[in-house]
Amino acid sequence: MSTVDLINVRKSYGSVEVLHGISLHIADGEFVALVGPSGCGKSTLLRMIAGLEDVTSGEIMIGDRVVNDVAPKDRDIAMVFQNYALYPHMNVRDNMGFALKQRRVPRAEIEARVLNAGRILGLEALLDRKPRALSGGQRQRVAMGRAIVRDPNVFLFDEPLSNLDAKLRVQMRSEIKELHQRLGTTTIYVTHDQVEAMTLADRVVVMNGGVVEQEGPPLELYDRPRTAFVAAFIGSPPMNFLGGTMVDRSVLELKDGTRLQLPAPDPQNRSRVTIGVRPEHFVLASDGWPATVSIVEPTGSETQITARLGGHLIRILVRGRTDAKPGDSIRLTVPADLMHMFDSASAPEVAATEDA
Amino acid sequence: MVQVAVQPERQARRKLGGRHVRIVAGVAVSLLFLFPVFWMVMTSFKQQVDIFTTPPKLFFTPTFSTYAEYLQRADIVRRLINTVIVAVGAGVLSIIVGAMSGYALARIKLRGAHTFGLLILLSRGVPPIALAVPMFLVARKMGLADQHITLILAYCTFLIPYVMWLMRSFFVSLPRELEESAMIDGCSRYGAFFKIIVPISMPGLLSTLIFSMILAWEELLFALVLTNRFASTMPVAIAGIAGDTVNGANWAALTAVGTITVIPVVIFALLVQKWLIQGLADGATKG
Ligand SMILES: Nc1ncnc2c1ncn2[C@@H]1O[C@H](COP(=O)(O)OP(=O)(O)OP(=O)(O)O)[C@@H](O)[C@H]1O
Ligand SMILES: [Mg+2]
Repeated sequence: MSTVDLINVRKSYGSVEVLHGISLHIADGEFVALVGPSGCGKSTLLRMIAGLEDVTSGEIMIGDRVVNDVAPKDRDIAMVFQNYALYPHMNVRDNMGFALKQRRVPRAEIEARVLNAGRILGLEALLDRKPRALSGGQRQRVAMGRAIVRDPNVFLFDEPLSNLDAKLRVQMRSEIKELHQRLGTTTIYVTHDQVEAMTLADRVVVMNGGVVEQEGPPLELYDRPRTAFVAAFIGSPPMNFLGGTMVDRSVLELKDGTRLQLPAPDPQNRSRVTIGVRPEHFVLASDGWPATVSIVEPTGSETQITARLGGHLIRILVRGRTDAKPGDSIRLTVPADLMHMFDSASAPEVAATEDA
Repeated sequence: MVQVAVQPERQARRKLGGRHVRIVAGVAVSLLFLFPVFWMVMTSFKQQVDIFTTPPKLFFTPTFSTYAEYLQRADIVRRLINTVIVAVGAGVLSIIVGAMSGYALARIKLRGAHTFGLLILLSRGVPPIALAVPMFLVARKMGLADQHITLILAYCTFLIPYVMWLMRSFFVSLPRELEESAMIDGCSRYGAFFKIIVPISMPGLLSTLIFSMILAWEELLFALVLTNRFASTMPVAIAGIAGDTVNGANWAALTAVGTITVIPVVIFALLVQKWLIQGLADGATKG
């Protein structure tokens, strides 16, 4: 087990820089998830930690060793790829034992460790099969097994669950979590699925366009997103955004002229502001912002309401049931500590809830 | 509903029709290719008098005398052995060098590698005859004229580009993560190539090897120019017989030696056909 440190790491392909100076400290035994939209550089960063991509500048440290120029095989890491990359000509046993064999571990010990990993992952019955005779979920398990028999310093996962169907994904997610609790190995886990990141990780690193937008424990990112990007990315269903001009320190005027009395004044006294409210933080009240219900979607435990508020479509999530019907007028309030405020300039692309 | 029922039936019928066409076409093409071979083998069992009858006789008393004569001649046996040495040597050498360079072209980021690879391929555009004479001069200078190794190296000049490009496209189609995984698991680049890539590519490598060996087996031009007595091969022997027209063309000898040349290839192809078919099919689905 080991710490991992990234110090101002940059990566360029030719003249195009795709990672613009990433610094991160990952503690011994920590489970860190890298999330972000497609193309933000998650895989590139992970592959640099693995030694599969050169570091253009900056330093990568595993433990107290700078590994920039260390070959992948000498970094003592294990990686699970999105497509599993099982060796097709070897059976499950040999796939899992391959790395140990490369390290000249005695045969009896390899056998014991493979059996043990096979037991942990429920693969005992499949040890003599070739990968092509396994289902997707079983292959995924073998890929995990190949990583855990190594007992490496660091586990690297690159979207290991994205090829599985939804149900299996949830199941494997808990298995990975359990595995980490049992083994306690430092883990870096790349995903573009924020739910996966939130549920698995001790700490989530949100990346966007080659930089770290924000990092912190999952609930901190949920409670205190620093940018509109993070606010929009974390949480499901996503946060609602309402942009406009401030006519008073605590009154926001939307584009269509609707004026909203904010529960708290803008501490920075900006003239243009975008406020963000999570669907589950709206409160149906007798007084407050006026909205018109357009869709009601009950799921039993909660009800999702889509409503129109000053030219925007907003999503509201209420616990339990409601008798609101399409066309009804409702009033909404937001507790002051659950309303987020962002610079309008930094929130252009999150206006996705805006009614065009 | 009706359409759903009709559709598969029509499809099945079309498939059946396609199958007939394919069989007929296959038989026609095979006949086209096999007829000269059949004629050669038939002629090789005829006596001189039977060969020149018009119309040609399909039924005659076969004779083994031509075979008996030529299989006893030391120079023919020697050439058969030479052909084996040269074909195996050139095939094996070109598959080793060609596969490794094909892998490098497929995977390793080297400045100008692609241009370099293209140049090697383009070198195949030079007519072999233009190369044969300079090669002979170089070989003679180095004291290597009429040696097996000379012919093997000469064959490699056209086999390696061929193997290299064939294997390059094969390697490109393999997921990169396989080697990356091996490299994380403790292999060097070489280790990953030999322990993972080579075993996976075995069918492709073998079928390429077989084609290379057959190409070397039947090559005439370089063999004619670069060898004389010691290292010359079967095609040279055939050319010699064909060119020896003092007493008119010796068709019986020509066809018998031709048959002797073809038989090892046929036996070899039958032995390895399982690999050959598997290799070709793999290439088709993975490429
Ligand atoms: N070999 C390469 N050459 C040039 N650009 C590359 C190369 N590999 C990746 N990139 C670029 O680097 C950026 C980051 O890619 P990366 O694969 O790390 O994204 P990602 O965050 O993993 O996305 P995804 O969620 O789609 O896997 C992308 O803009 C991509 O186009
Ligand atoms: Mg990726």
